[in-house]
Amino acid sequence: RGRDLWRTGRARAAMEAAELRVGFVGAGRMAGGLARGLLRAGKVPASSILASAPSDKNLDAWRESGCRTTHCNLEVLQDCTLVFLATKPHVLPGVLQEIRPAVGPHHIVVSLAAGITLQTLQRLLPAGTNVLRLMPNLPCVVQAGAMVFARGSSAGDGEATLLKNLLSSCGLCEEVPESYIDIHTGLSGSGVAYVYLFAEALADGAVKMGMPGGLARRIAAQTLLGAAKMMVETGEHPAKLREDVCTPGGTTIHALHQLEKGALRATVMNAVEAATNRARDVAED
Amino acid sequence: AGVLAAHKITASSPDTDLPTVSGLRKMGVNFTVSNKDTVKSSDVLFLAVKPPIIPFILDEVGPDIEPRHIVVSCAAGVTISSLEKKLSTFCPTPKVIRCMTNTPVIVREGATVYATGTHADVEDGKLLEQLMASVGFCTEVEEDLIDAVTGLSGSGPAYAFTALDALADGGVKMGLPRRLAVRLGAQALLGAAKMLLESEQHPGQLKDNVCSPGGATIHALHFLESGGFRSLLINAVEASCIRTRELQHLADQEQISPAAIKKTLLDKVKLESPSLSVSSASRVSLFANKSPSSKKN
Repeated sequence: RGRDLWRTGRARAAMEAAELRVGFVGAGRMAGGLARGLLRAGKVPASSILASAPSDKNLDAWRESGCRTTHCNLEVLQDCTLVFLATKPHVLPGVLQEIRPAVGPHHIVVSLAAGITLQTLQRLLPAGTNVLRLMPNLPCVVQAGAMVFARGSSAGDGEATLLKNLLSSCGLCEEVPESYIDIHTGLSGSGVAYVYLFAEALADGAVKMGMPGGLARRIAAQTLLGAAKMMVETGEHPAKLREDVCTPGGTTIHALHQLEKGALRATVMNAVEAATNRARDVAED
Repeated sequence: AGVLAAHKITASSPDTDLPTVSGLRKMGVNFTVSNKDTVKSSDVLFLAVKPPIIPFILDEVGPDIEPRHIVVSCAAGVTISSLEKKLSTFCPTPKVIRCMTNTPVIVREGATVYATGTHADVEDGKLLEQLMASVGFCTEVEEDLIDAVTGLSGSGPAYAFTALDALADGGVKMGLPRRLAVRLGAQALLGAAKMLLESEQHPGQLKDNVCSPGGATIHALHFLESGGFRSLLINAVEASCIRTRELQHLADQEQISPAAIKKTLLDKVKLESPSLSVSSASRVSLFANKSPSSKKN
């Protein structure tokens, strides 16, 4: 295929995922999560995935899944069209300098690095490179992720559609203005941890009342899963769904009163705010 | 509301110096100092005295109660069964309706609930509902919910007045003249309440509709949440409801000291006087009970 074809958005969007060679520069937890999600969804065969990392430590798991691995970042750029940059943020500028010679107009470069802005990415890559910035969250691994991405100035509809179609196999994937990415971190990137904390507390409550811990944790997880599923499937406002559970004078409203007394809502808002602010602070460094 | 002509209303009070008395007279209401006269000239009888006085009023007017009378008690914490018990010594099948209303009936935006007694017919309830619906919202409920209603809409206007006072303070702090601040605060609550009543949306959704991302309102709401605003309101409704039940319980046990009641009857209208003291703390509280009605006896 000629370079002209790559430029047209339609060709991009129509490109079968199966033809796509997907690369990961950096093979840590987040990269692994995305790759696993793509594999489980059957969107990309393992043989089409190439991951690079400085040591073998992270690469073993990839090889076990059937993916190809290398210690050479440049090889990923030479072999793949869609390249995820998944190194630790402080390492990325150096990596960008390294791979820059191999980056061409046919590449779609997607950075997962927290705090590294599109402006910085575009500055360190050749002019006109298709750059996008992605913020996923951990449950991409089980195809229930929440991801947002923002386009760089050269990325067109074709690139955005390609990425969205591919990543929708890992969960919810929405395009947003870049300014929402830090908020997404506070809400959903870190948010997953808030949910784990809540689940643990639920289970502890049950243990206090006499239920074995293992059972309590399994039920807590299912409760969260079920509640979230209802929110997603009914599209109803959570306040309405909460109401539906509260019979007058019943157990639920008594319990909710305890949560309100503890100012749970404000505390959660504080958490989202703190994480978002931290993400913004880190970005400025 | 134009539901009744003034001359069809009779009110009685032993003390004719009350401002409410002259107000009623100006409206064209028939006024008398005799409770018995009121009963004789009425079909629907609103008992609008303070709860501890109810038993004594019933003793006084009991003999004049006829089968046609519908006795409506607005007294907080006074149960249908206690009313029927008292009245049945005079009348075999007294028609009793218990209702709980609130002060905004004055501006025809009251919130009223009622529960019908053993011998009150469906039409009796509907008649009351028609009357009270002319001054706001009115619906029938099971009697055991009336204490909760007291906590919510009976006391509710007080919560709103407190909120409005504070909102106005906020406005004044940020530079608004007091009168304007009060006016705007009241209009904001009025408008919000009207939106909610006319909308099918959940209040949470309506709240969302006001909160633009990163805007002023969501910042303000965060403060409210941090202060436990919601739980304070839940606590308030709960406290009012529980207190109503306590007072009812005390009344049922007839823990009113006869000396106190005698003093009340003698003083006639010094009921709200904070200087009135009774032997035990629990009984003092009976006299401090909030009565939603503006008519006094």
